[in-house]
Amino acid sequence: MNKETAKNVAVYIGQRVSLTAIALVVLSFMTFTLGQLVPGDAAVVAAGPNAGNERIAELRVEMGLDLPIHKQYGIYLSKLSRGDLGKSWFTHQPIWEDIKDRLPASAELVFLAMLLNVLISIPLGVLAATRFDSKIDGAIRLMVMAGAGIPIFWLGLILQHYVAGEAGWFPIAGRISFEYRDFSGSTGFLLIDTALQGEWQIFWDVLNHLFLPAITLATLFIAVVTRTTRSTVLRTLQEDYVTLARSKGISEYQVVVRHALRNALIPTITIFGMQIGWMLSTTILVEEIFSRPGIGKYAVKAITQSDIHGVVGVVLVMGVIFLITNLIVDIVHLFLNPRHRESVQGQ
Amino acid sequence: MKPSIRKFLVPIMALLLPTGVLAGPSGTLVIAENLTPENLDPANAQNSTVDQLMLGMYDTLVQFTAGETTVSPRLATDWSASADGLTHTFNLRNGVTFHDGSALTADDVCFTFDRNQAAGANALTDAGPYDSCNIVDDHTVQLNLSAPFGPFVSALGRVYIVNKDLVEPHMGDNFARTWLSVNEAGSGPYALKSYKPDDSVSMTAYPDYWGGWDGNHVAEVVFRVVPEASTQAALLKAGEVHIAPDLTIDDKIALQGKDGYITDIGAAATPLYFMINVQAGGPLSDKLFRKAIIMAVDIKALCDAVLQGFCAYPEGPMPSNWPGHVGGIYPEFDLEGAKKIIDDNGWAGTEVNLTFLPEEEIQQRASEMWQANLAKIGVTLNATGSTWPALYAAAQSLDTAPDAGGSSAFPPFPDPHGILYGLLHSSKMGINGGTNFSQYSNPEVDDRLDRAASSADQNERMKLYGEVQEIVGNDYIHVLVAQPASVVTLSDKVVGYKYNVAHHQTFNFMDIGLK
Amino acid sequence: MKFLRYMGSPLEIAAVGFAALMVLLAIIGPLIAPHDPYEVDFFNRFLPPSTEYFFGTDATGRDVFSRVLYGARLTLASALVVIVIVALIGIIIGVVSALSGGLVDDVLMRFTDIWLAFPPLVLAMGFAAAFGAGINAAILALIITWWPGYARLTRALIVETKDKDFIVAAKAMGIGKIRTIIFHLIPNSLDVLFVQLTLDVAAVILVISGLSFIGVGAQIPLAEWGAMIADGRSAMSRAWWVVFFPGLAILLTAVSFNLVGDILRRELDPALRRREF
Repeated sequence: MNKETAKNVAVYIGQRVSLTAIALVVLSFMTFTLGQLVPGDAAVVAAGPNAGNERIAELRVEMGLDLPIHKQYGIYLSKLSRGDLGKSWFTHQPIWEDIKDRLPASAELVFLAMLLNVLISIPLGVLAATRFDSKIDGAIRLMVMAGAGIPIFWLGLILQHYVAGEAGWFPIAGRISFEYRDFSGSTGFLLIDTALQGEWQIFWDVLNHLFLPAITLATLFIAVVTRTTRSTVLRTLQEDYVTLARSKGISEYQVVVRHALRNALIPTITIFGMQIGWMLSTTILVEEIFSRPGIGKYAVKAITQSDIHGVVGVVLVMGVIFLITNLIVDIVHLFLNPRHRESVQGQ
Repeated sequence: MKPSIRKFLVPIMALLLPTGVLAGPSGTLVIAENLTPENLDPANAQNSTVDQLMLGMYDTLVQFTAGETTVSPRLATDWSASADGLTHTFNLRNGVTFHDGSALTADDVCFTFDRNQAAGANALTDAGPYDSCNIVDDHTVQLNLSAPFGPFVSALGRVYIVNKDLVEPHMGDNFARTWLSVNEAGSGPYALKSYKPDDSVSMTAYPDYWGGWDGNHVAEVVFRVVPEASTQAALLKAGEVHIAPDLTIDDKIALQGKDGYITDIGAAATPLYFMINVQAGGPLSDKLFRKAIIMAVDIKALCDAVLQGFCAYPEGPMPSNWPGHVGGIYPEFDLEGAKKIIDDNGWAGTEVNLTFLPEEEIQQRASEMWQANLAKIGVTLNATGSTWPALYAAAQSLDTAPDAGGSSAFPPFPDPHGILYGLLHSSKMGINGGTNFSQYSNPEVDDRLDRAASSADQNERMKLYGEVQEIVGNDYIHVLVAQPASVVTLSDKVVGYKYNVAHHQTFNFMDIGLK
Repeated sequence: MKFLRYMGSPLEIAAVGFAALMVLLAIIGPLIAPHDPYEVDFFNRFLPPSTEYFFGTDATGRDVFSRVLYGARLTLASALVVIVIVALIGIIIGVVSALSGGLVDDVLMRFTDIWLAFPPLVLAMGFAAAFGAGINAAILALIITWWPGYARLTRALIVETKDKDFIVAAKAMGIGKIRTIIFHLIPNSLDVLFVQLTLDVAAVILVISGLSFIGVGAQIPLAEWGAMIADGRSAMSRAWWVVFFPGLAILLTAVSFNLVGDILRRELDPALRRREF
């Protein structure tokens, strides 16, 4: 990378970072607005049931409800910067604590779903592209179609009822078997903690509980990535340098894997990065079905209970995670893809 | 082994064996719960998900043992009331310790009452016109009322005594609500082991419990949160839970009489109402309109086809199997008559907003049936699912209160006051922080309820409650959706489960053992 | 219409046919439904599929087949409302952005960039929670979250087209700006927009039914397919049909609209690069 490009890249990264910062502010403004939209007295809402008038008056002052709206937003922002997302109506605990405790469960689910995604969609996509227009290609395209159109919650219910319930191949619900419920580790990520402690039976148990939810979550994304991989590999296989490689007598395998795939994979990696955020949001449906204690299930419960601060808290946390993963993916893409690097001008 | 020791061994073993060498709690009882336990604060004990945990972790002065309809001594060994009914004196038991080892004294009792009063706890306001608490000595407490209240002692079954030393330091933070929501400070038979509200709550037997551990008890109790009815059924069948209270009615019937399962039918006295907000304005404030929409509910079909007979036909706000019940004052199901009322008064096109609780299957079915029938008479019912705490909060202001709310009465003690007061008295209106979601305020009713509360003459009380039912019957403020029985399906390994009339939707796990 | 020219495999014919059938059912479904989808009859609960009740009955004795038919109208109408309004908003903003250029263009596109970062499900859930549950709230929430894609797409298309010869010629001929926009710029982009709209129908249907499933979208007694699945969940062991048929309806509808969108896309510009946005 020469100096010129390096300078452009640095400028570009700088712009992306500041764009992300602005986006975070916009996000906070949006969640602030959401909180204001709820009918009724905001202090009464925040105080929750059973609160006395004293408590409500206290909250009124604390939230600055009698101040002009821009001052209220300021208070909101300063609270956010301290990690104060408000308190849950019912548990009276800080919402950030509630969410933080549940993030690892969702993260593990997204991680395994992403892993399945990578392991399944890339080989399938390559297979379809190299066997273009054959029966295998047709079958894969059919699966992709079904996968892109299937309602995830329906698929989850069916898998849960028949594969787990009737056949008994997997557990029906939960994150860990009841007999291991007292297990606790240092990170909160059960897969890591059980491995660290050498508790391989529990590790396997956790994996067992993850499988059906992960495959349910991943289905839609597998369909999308398979299709993308297939078309980018197809396109790459028609490029000049591939014809050149072939004419030089390099084996088909080498052509595909070393030349075509490497270039085709780069846009795919970007897509994976974006999908992390999408998968996290889809946990709302999957965790509800499989009763997993993650932020998706927390969001659903908050909605049912009209706990607006809980819902807004989840939107905020998920939003921050999306923005940051997108930023990271952008930067990684920059370093992986020489062509993209070269094309970056100060935009 | 030395002969001398052997000489002693046999008599020693002979002594031990009859009482059971392993006397002491053993086994883990797993109970499925479809709702997240709201929190651990005893001040919220009127909520059954909280109450079921309190019963294990805390003690009360007196308590209803499951299966009985009068209270028996707990922390209080005996008690008496002054002639004017304003002062109740309780003698406390010796040797009671909290889970942290400290002794339970009158100081803790008075602190608990003071705290509940300051925090506006409903568990205490249900106990009548409580005024103050005096410490006479370490083991004697005086509770003072501002007016006589007949069922006062019975109401104390929901006032759980907390450890003052642990709780007092947190009183500055919302009356210790924050701390007590996730910590326990009790003296009960079970101590909190872990509280993961979305997942499970577990408690282990407290070895120094004053009641001792004779008999068959479990060493650990786990409440497992399983929101889905079909998942509860699967777990019960797999032996992973012992008690599954939230199966669908069809599942409960399917398992009735089957080997390996017990189906316990408790004589529940928990009528389910759709409480109509009489202050909502528009046609809803006109009792003729309310009568018409009540006539659109076929409660017999709900009992026969949905609850499939595990119910009684409700005929008034009081449970039909209670003394003092007055029947025959509820309008019959009559769609044509209802339509006529609507048409005659030009009320066609009115919209009514109902908030119901989907956690109870019967509420959802009743809502759908009411919707369909109201549509036939020209009224649109918008039904939204919610949870009880959210409904309770919404009812606290007329801006957010729905036109109708689905709620059951869980009487904290088996007495008409336990149901009718919280349901009908103006001081208990939703906007006053109570459970009278109808926002009903009628001085005639208030007067009779207050007089019955402070009277000791049972005949007079029943007469007054009868009058209340008649007055309310003519005001058409509730849809009496159902009077369901308590049907609980258990594994047959569970020994000793009994339904507790004063603690609906809880389990007497402190009396339960496993085979 | 161009796409009629090439109808390829039997699968594609089937897809187009099914999509057309769904649209037809959305219009006439309620007229041909054999039973009232809201009639409650507790004594006919959970009847298996039969000649009387093609898809069986649900927990309140309602005919699942009739409800699926009503659901077609509900689902497709909701999707249509979302798509049309989203397209209108998006096109207007996209045109403004493309033709203004400079700072306005920059700011608007950055704004849509930010908006696009959030998956619709979470934002829609947040708005629906604030507005209150209900199908209208869900539709509004989706509109708020979905429009940026169209703004970006339209802007990209207009920017690409505005310097083309025939536009320059139009200007030279003295045709006014507004007329240029309405009669030349936008119609030239409609093809691509239409493809995206068709593809998005499937996506919107999936999100709306997902929202209804968790209780935020359609409320009882609406015969929305996602809500029907939620309702039948606890009875899957004794009445598989209550969950199966609505889910199948969603699957087939989404897949067929996806396929139609694919066919359209292939037909419009097989040789040209696909526009990414």
